Amino acid sequence: MNLIEVRNINKYFQQPAKMQVLSDVSFDIEKGKLISITGKSGSGKSTLLYLLSTMDTDFEGSIRINQDEMKGKSNPWLADFRNHHIGFVFQFHYLLPEFTVLKNVMLPALKLAKYSREETEHHAIDLLKLLGVEDQAHKRASLLSGGQQQRVAIARALINEPLIIMGDEPTGNLDSYNSAVVFDLFKKLSAEKGQTVLMVTHDEDIAGRSDQTIHLVDGKIDHAN
Amino acid sequence: MKIFTNIQLAATIALTHMRSRLKQTIIATVGVIFGITMFVFMVSMIQGINDFLRNIAFEQSPHLRLYNEIQAASGTILDKVKSQAINIVDHSKPKNVSLALKDGKQVIQLLQDDPRVLAVSGSIKAQVFYRLGSSTINGTINGIVFENENALFNLQAKLLEGSFHELATTPNSIVMGVNLAKRLNVKTGDQLLLTTEKGNNFYVTVAGIFKTGMSDIDKQESYASLNTVQRFMEVPAAHITDIKIKLHDMEQAPAFCQELQTKYGFQGSDWRQDNATIVDGDSFRNFMVYGVSITILLVAGFGTFNILTMMIYEKMKDIAILKAMGFSNGDIRRIFLIQAIIIGTIGALLGLVFGFLATYGISQMPYKSDVMITMDHFPVNYSIVYYISGFSFGIITTTLAGYLPSRKASRLDPITILRG
Repeated sequence: MNLIEVRNINKYFQQPAKMQVLSDVSFDIEKGKLISITGKSGSGKSTLLYLLSTMDTDFEGSIRINQDEMKGKSNPWLADFRNHHIGFVFQFHYLLPEFTVLKNVMLPALKLAKYSREETEHHAIDLLKLLGVEDQAHKRASLLSGGQQQRVAIARALINEPLIIMGDEPTGNLDSYNSAVVFDLFKKLSAEKGQTVLMVTHDEDIAGRSDQTIHLVDGKIDHAN
Repeated sequence: MKIFTNIQLAATIALTHMRSRLKQTIIATVGVIFGITMFVFMVSMIQGINDFLRNIAFEQSPHLRLYNEIQAASGTILDKVKSQAINIVDHSKPKNVSLALKDGKQVIQLLQDDPRVLAVSGSIKAQVFYRLGSSTINGTINGIVFENENALFNLQAKLLEGSFHELATTPNSIVMGVNLAKRLNVKTGDQLLLTTEKGNNFYVTVAGIFKTGMSDIDKQESYASLNTVQRFMEVPAAHITDIKIKLHDMEQAPAFCQELQTKYGFQGSDWRQDNATIVDGDSFRNFMVYGVSITILLVAGFGTFNILTMMIYEKMKDIAILKAMGFSNGDIRRIFLIQAIIIGTIGALLGLVFGFLATYGISQMPYKSDVMITMDHFPVNYSIVYYISGFSFGIITTTLAGYLPSRKASRLDPITILRG
């Protein structure tokens, strides 16, 4: 069963001049796979990821995730969908600096409000342990090092046990040891928990070890690769 | 339930934001506090002054008066005689109108039974000369039935020395205004001469001295019993020139006045016409107070607007992250709106407290005035209405000031921010 079905996507940038970024992109992604989106900078790979993340709604074509069509949905519906099903990891960690590490991880779950506060906190601590940053839990997020922040951001992406974990170069800011740790974690999640991992990467090595690669050239899928 | 947790979560985030920008938050709150304080203080003070002026004036003036007035005749006799012809009469003299109210006593009886009427008093008013030694001062004497007049104007409270009750018991006794007594240099018990318009002279005894605070009255008016003045004027006991009425609801006065005028054919005027300057002054002062206060609140509103707008620029990344996490536009708007509402609520509440304290402070300040004798402290008005409207104003301006930035925040496109 396909978790994500992308059909005939066209995407234009209006500023500064109208320009086509993605043309006629179609592909399917199965549940529980680790997929890399690769391509040169400017090839539209980040744009594609943001479309799949449901944050960018300005496109032509159809994106179906978990049987639901994303096109034409309202902002609250999409927000709720992201909250339930998508965990996002950015290139530059992007924690909320005034909140503690623990609170940062808990926020998406508090928003989801599926479990009690105590359960959520417990769950968050477990995730921080898994990523080896549990000793930082009560520090303010802005006090952590870059590598630590990135791991906290991954913990945050995992807290709601999303169907899909998306990353915009999630390892791009980490040293080779840490990026290997992160990649192994992603691999494990997709294999053991059936979570789908979708990430934009420059790293040839990572791309080579993923289950599927979507290679973009000038906004088109390069099927030769 | 979901909306409740959403609001709770938005509030937590809002509070964290405010804690991390504590200084700016406090400045914004102080702006609101200042605005509300000034509003409450100024309105209470100006309204206190308005009330005071009104009370002074209205204690001396009835809600409506009935009287007769000398006026030009409408039409001429010639018109009646030669009604078909075109008659031109130049410089016709005013008619000789009797100032007495026809059947005045019966009218008073009827008015006393009217459910709208609180109190009614008939009196006779006459121009006289007060003479003592070589000095002659002209003024007015009011013939009153003390009990009735007191029910309208609370005369007893204005008595400085002597007694009003002596008017009824001692023949030819008068109670005079304090400035008039001063000018004649007389005290209670002294005698002086009164000359009427017709040239009759009467010796009168000063039975008391009153002070109303209205210099026009204190300078030239005196009271005597109705019978006494009627005797001075050589008119029968049924002769009265003024009917003064106090109503239960003073706002009904103009309509009631019209009704009585058509019914009895007297001239009439109500408190609005008699005190046009005060009524106008009231509305001008109120207009000014509300103008200034709203300006202050607007400035405070701009302060809140600025700080929230700045906050949003600083927090653009955070907003994008929250949106990526699954916070909807509405959630984001709520976060910033809650900040504005918190600033507004705290500012408004503290503003009310400081406003009350400032008002209380000025009300304790001793203030002596020659004109307003009954005033010893600054007059203020503690009406709850000003506190309610001050609070609502504060909340509304800050909420509006917060709404625009929060809407802007909710509309931020997370993609452009995350792309960097």
